[in-house]
Amino acid sequence: MRHTKPKFNNVKSKKASSFHEFARSTNDAWDIDDEEDEEFLGTFNTTSSIQNQVPTIYIYLSVITSYFYLCAPHSVRSTLQKQQSLPVRPIIPLVARISDQNASGAPPMTVREKSRLDKFRQLLASPNTDLEELRKHSWSGIPREVRPITWRLLSGYLPANKERRELVLKRKREEYFRFIEQYYHSRTDEHYKDTYRQIHIDIPRTNPLIPLFQQPAVQEVFERILFIWAIRHPASGYVQGINDLVTPFFVVFLSEFVTEDMENFEVAALPLETQRNIEADSFWCMSKLLDGIQDNYTFAQPGIQNKVKALEELVSRIDEDIHNHFKRYEVEYLQFAFRWMNNLLMRELPLRCTIRLWDTYQAEAEGFSHFHLYVCAAFLIEWRKEILSMVDFQGLLMLLQNLPTIHWGNEEVGLLLAEAYRLKYMFADAPSHYKR
Amino acid sequence: MAKQYDVLFRLLLLGDSGVGKTCLLCRFTDNEFHPSHISTIGVDFKMKTLLIDGIKVRIQIWDTAGQERYQTITKQYYRRAQGIFLVYDITSERSFQHIMKWASDVDEYAPDKVQKILVGNKSDEVDKRQVATEQGVKLAKAYGMDFFETSAFTNHNISETFTRLAEQVLAANKKDLDLLRTSINDELNLAALEEEEGLCDSAAGDQHKGCWC
Repeated sequence: MRHTKPKFNNVKSKKASSFHEFARSTNDAWDIDDEEDEEFLGTFNTTSSIQNQVPTIYIYLSVITSYFYLCAPHSVRSTLQKQQSLPVRPIIPLVARISDQNASGAPPMTVREKSRLDKFRQLLASPNTDLEELRKHSWSGIPREVRPITWRLLSGYLPANKERRELVLKRKREEYFRFIEQYYHSRTDEHYKDTYRQIHIDIPRTNPLIPLFQQPAVQEVFERILFIWAIRHPASGYVQGINDLVTPFFVVFLSEFVTEDMENFEVAALPLETQRNIEADSFWCMSKLLDGIQDNYTFAQPGIQNKVKALEELVSRIDEDIHNHFKRYEVEYLQFAFRWMNNLLMRELPLRCTIRLWDTYQAEAEGFSHFHLYVCAAFLIEWRKEILSMVDFQGLLMLLQNLPTIHWGNEEVGLLLAEAYRLKYMFADAPSHYKR
Repeated sequence: MAKQYDVLFRLLLLGDSGVGKTCLLCRFTDNEFHPSHISTIGVDFKMKTLLIDGIKVRIQIWDTAGQERYQTITKQYYRRAQGIFLVYDITSERSFQHIMKWASDVDEYAPDKVQKILVGNKSDEVDKRQVATEQGVKLAKAYGMDFFETSAFTNHNISETFTRLAEQVLAANKKDLDLLRTSINDELNLAALEEEEGLCDSAAGDQHKGCWC
């Protein structure tokens, strides 16, 4: 059992009050961490104490805005919608650096990180990047500075040969925009209009709390990417949840051009060419990812059904207590794990954690299609204590559908991945190693 | 141990993507409204306890994803529902047309005894209305259902709709209800009774809430 970390007291909901309680109750712990950081780094981070206050302020803000909502006459609805998308989480970064801790800012780089970054730069600069070596280093997290290029390489979008990269990029980006010219107008055709309608409904609902994704320029990018992908993959077409999968790529490729406060960055202010490159790269990398998990989204979603069954089987071996507890209270794995598979845990984790998770998924062979199963098992076991303390169906479901990860950062994801790796190592090649 | 509820049953929200199923539910259980809610994936779960005729009614509400691809998954939940909301959006003729398809799925997959109610949501969006109130009334009549126009945004008819369906489910299970009245001290789990399987909730409720770590 691994329960050394302080945990959320109120695990039942993500609601403002409970998070506020959490923030209050853990203020001390966060302060201590920062002091240690400062000592360790030998530097002084002037903003850390202010930043620590932010989650609380954020909660106040959202309490105020939702109160405002409830009282408002409905004629001011659209104005209020704009208010709702005011910056609400300015400090917690969308893209965290290796060293970024949870709710604190970005402390200066440690010596170790510096040498890691140098190693990546060296690999990337070689005439033929050693992809095996790159994967090995990426497994434990890719430094933010080199993440965009590393993701392009690991996804198979860019070739290892450095000389060819520019040409490939140019060709692929042109190819994508030819698709747009050729097909995007067909979104109003009888044959495709249902696909487009569904995408159009879902886009404003993608990351609704982050202002960046409410910008028309960004929403149009998502619509084009998803529509083109959908009509090129008729076996699955567009399925809700795929919209989420564009987000990490878009954010990572945008991060090359934004240094801070990405949540509020005005994308339309970038040169058109840059915007187009981000869009095309996001499309191709997302396509590569989906190639590996398309059976998650085909008729009857067999990929997901199989993975949920495999998760059940795995948990029954690694943690009989949890498994029996679910049985006793008639909790079915499908009731919570369907979404874990369909959205690759993106709905359960903050975006910065998903990005870190995907460093590893892209470094693993079959990361998204296979290793993800072990990550889900490790994620479930992570909440062992909370799960076993719930003694009714309702409590269990409410917990499992609202796991309190809002404060998670690289450290938590790192531990999760280490545990997943251990499980994979123990069970992948010896499926009957632990018989129940 | 104080009893948390007398009766437990399951309700299901069905309807096209984007008609506002999740918004209805959030308004009902948490009295909150978010204009652009994140889309539901698979099935979500919430609950609330109502007091109807002196009976504490605990309702579990299952909120489903509206997209067709999810129906293999969501249909698995029909069988265990005692009440179903068929939801359309008054600003979408298409979502209203699709009620027929949702209703026929319910006929096919839900228990015969299941109670249904028709809901036309987004009644505050008068300028965008595509489905007249009379159309809703007429369709509901044809199916023998009750009908409400609701607005999760203005909180119009929300608790009325949920309460009405709960009352109907109670009435439809009158036999069990009478049983309950004669032995009001026992918790009664309609869901479990109907399935004739699974745990009796009273047994689970009596468990000492200890930590099993």
